[in-house]
Amino acid sequence: MVGLAAMFGSGAMTNSINEFDAADLFLVTGSNTTEQHPLIGTRIINAKQRGAQLLIIDPREIPLAKFADLHLRQNIGTDVAVLNGMMNVIIEENLYDKEFVTTRTENFEQLKEVVSKYPPKAVEKISGIAAADLKKAARMYAKADKAMIAYAMGITQHTTGVDNVKSCANLAMLTGHLGRAAVGVNPLRGQNNVQGACDMGGLPNVYSAYQPVIDANVKKKFEEAWKVEGLDDKPGLTITDMMNAAQQGELKALYIMGENPLMSDPDTAHIEHALSNLDFLVVQDIFLSETAKKADVVFPAASFAEKDGTYTNTERKVQLACKAVNPPGQARPDWQIICEISKLAGYPMNYESPADVLKEINALSPSYGGITLERLSKGSGLQWPCPNVEHPGTAFLHKDKFSKGLGTFMPCEFKPPAEMPDDEYDFMLTTGRIYYQFHTGTMTRRVSILEREAPEALLEINPEDAKKLGIRNKDKVEVSSRRGSLQMKAEVTERVPPRVVFSTFHFSEACINVLTNSAFDPVAKIPEYKGCAVKVRRCA
Amino acid sequence: MKTLAKKDINKILSIWSQKHDVLAPTKMDNGDCIFSAFDEKTFTLDYKKPPLSPKSVFFPQSEIIFRVEKNKYNEVVAAKKALIFGLRSCDMMGIRQASSFMSRDNKDIYYQARQNAAATVVMACPKAQNETCFCTTTLSGPVAKKGFDLQLYDIGDTLLVEIGSPRGEELLTGMPLAEMEESQAKQKIDEFLQNAILTIPEVKSVIDAMNKLKDRKVAEKVWDDFGAKCITCGGCAFVCPTCTCFNVYDHQQAAGEGIRLRAWDACLYSGFTREASGHNPRASQASRLKRRHEHKLLDYNNTDIQDGLCGCVGCGRCSDYCPVHIGTLEVVKAITG
Repeated sequence: MVGLAAMFGSGAMTNSINEFDAADLFLVTGSNTTEQHPLIGTRIINAKQRGAQLLIIDPREIPLAKFADLHLRQNIGTDVAVLNGMMNVIIEENLYDKEFVTTRTENFEQLKEVVSKYPPKAVEKISGIAAADLKKAARMYAKADKAMIAYAMGITQHTTGVDNVKSCANLAMLTGHLGRAAVGVNPLRGQNNVQGACDMGGLPNVYSAYQPVIDANVKKKFEEAWKVEGLDDKPGLTITDMMNAAQQGELKALYIMGENPLMSDPDTAHIEHALSNLDFLVVQDIFLSETAKKADVVFPAASFAEKDGTYTNTERKVQLACKAVNPPGQARPDWQIICEISKLAGYPMNYESPADVLKEINALSPSYGGITLERLSKGSGLQWPCPNVEHPGTAFLHKDKFSKGLGTFMPCEFKPPAEMPDDEYDFMLTTGRIYYQFHTGTMTRRVSILEREAPEALLEINPEDAKKLGIRNKDKVEVSSRRGSLQMKAEVTERVPPRVVFSTFHFSEACINVLTNSAFDPVAKIPEYKGCAVKVRRCA
Repeated sequence: MKTLAKKDINKILSIWSQKHDVLAPTKMDNGDCIFSAFDEKTFTLDYKKPPLSPKSVFFPQSEIIFRVEKNKYNEVVAAKKALIFGLRSCDMMGIRQASSFMSRDNKDIYYQARQNAAATVVMACPKAQNETCFCTTTLSGPVAKKGFDLQLYDIGDTLLVEIGSPRGEELLTGMPLAEMEESQAKQKIDEFLQNAILTIPEVKSVIDAMNKLKDRKVAEKVWDDFGAKCITCGGCAFVCPTCTCFNVYDHQQAAGEGIRLRAWDACLYSGFTREASGHNPRASQASRLKRRHEHKLLDYNNTDIQDGLCGCVGCGRCSDYCPVHIGTLEVVKAITG
């Protein structure tokens, strides 16, 4: 998000989901699309069957790989090198879009200089991808008319997450693959409303619609609207910073809503310690999650089916959600809980309904100006930017110019992951999700049929490694990092390359974040879930 | 033949609602029509194929089948007097086939209690609802042959009433009925049928595909290709009028107390056939898809087929809703090349 915002002026999917049907080439990287965004994955499969090309860059043999024209399996955490290598070939072979580069971008010379250091042979040494394959991939992507990049957490969850995103954006700008229908850069958002939460200022540095807290005019605007003075003009802490501050005793109280950091954050022991160190912890959730069990106060919240409101999905589309049943027991919609707290704290927030909240969103958030309840009730949603009630919404971004004017090339140098395998911890662990469970399992682990499909954590390990270690399929293994140790069954599979193991954070019985590294990207503060060093042994 | 005036239909449904939970075609805000509790304001006779068949009336998505309380258990057989109004002949055939299955060997008391309590009023289908309708091929439409309590033919301002059972007869008690001379009524019904059939052409490849399956002449590649695409959502089974597989779950609620539930299941899930040892006789998605379609088109029990063609009733919902286009029609097309 930070990466795309710096280069283009907006951090969101540049295209709409429908446009996947019209693309000629997909570059899918760091996204297990059919498992995590199955309805987008199916569009890619259908497109492939009508003749589109599919290029995958992913260390794992994800299900979509069966359909790929070319699947590059890079070493974990070498994405910047791979993408720089592709750009090196594209510039070297004169395949870049000179008109686009000249008229729509800045900083090309700097990009050229950096990527010149990444010829295919050098990239082969870093990434393990054969130089010939890298060249082939570069040519395929550059020559396609309508090429679309789709990425997800495999790109962002690295200490170089922002650099990875920037490199994807550099590649798209270099080839003019932006600003048209079915052509662009598409970060696939993992939850129904994670885009909406960001849009509404659920970030430490911005108000809604990405209006910076450090901007004096913005500060004044919100002070006037909320009839208060002295709104803080310094960015707050990210979740990673908060946990560190809590551990050091600088942060005393934490109010967590709909999040389960004891399972979802890296290095569980560290999170456990940080939360224990707080004077006061409030958790608001629909079930008593692992984190909620540690709270001093728990607010039961209403689930999606028990409240009215809107969600903003991965394609920037705001959609209305209507209550189907009443919340059970004392549960209430989040907005009501927040208003009650605010009233008790001496600042009554007198919203009567979600419609009232939406009116304030319309008034204070430029890109949501025209997304009114009246319009949402009539149609099937509106895509921002939609500045006024006459505006039809925006299917794809950056049509004639970028949100910020010229697109800025931001070349990046390759940096290895924070923790690399060594003699003792000799495997690279990468983590992710599976089709049948969602995140920390707070919801899906209560569904019997999903439990039947995927009842326990498995450690994927390549047959070559399994053989060396005497591990057979479904044997119990112990996997350890410098931060902790877990036992789970092994799944012997070629889905992972040799020297790489994979598991998930869905199962509290063996949550992989006990092992992951809390090292994070210096800008976005996103932790490196996708790579850390571990050792594996068969349990006696 | 008995007739009803179309303008009276709201009144009639209101009267039926006094003694039944009436489910009727209901227009949603977004334009879709579903079977939902009758409400004069949203009821419509101008409706297309509802996304879901009405099978959940007899076979809910999930239901409690017994409760355990202190060393004893109490069966929960819950059935309310219901009336399904406006179902099409394909769905009527779906109910007949599913009901046969649910009572053939072991009587499913939960299903049967609900079925006995539910009356069915079929609206004969005037034309193909969309391009995936093929009931004329599966011998399940456009008009129901039996199974219903009442079947109505919409011939303009008048609804012709075909009575299918004593319960149907009883439903008409006290209703504002008129009479149409038998030969005239028969002529009207013939016309209705001819017009409807013209819009639902026979899909001969369904028969060809059934024959190829029978002769074991279907290449494994057909299933491998579909298996690679299938996203295992199970939606095809959930929208299918003849799919009745379920799984059983126990939930402990307190010490010594708990419930046993059953809920819809689908043969596309790996856990459906996985054995306790971990071995799965249908280990690949391709083999599960093959099994599913062979079951519908080849292996369906002869008794359960009733007077239809096979275990598919030609409603076309799997083709309408599968996000990766693996419906019966697509499978048939791939099989017959």
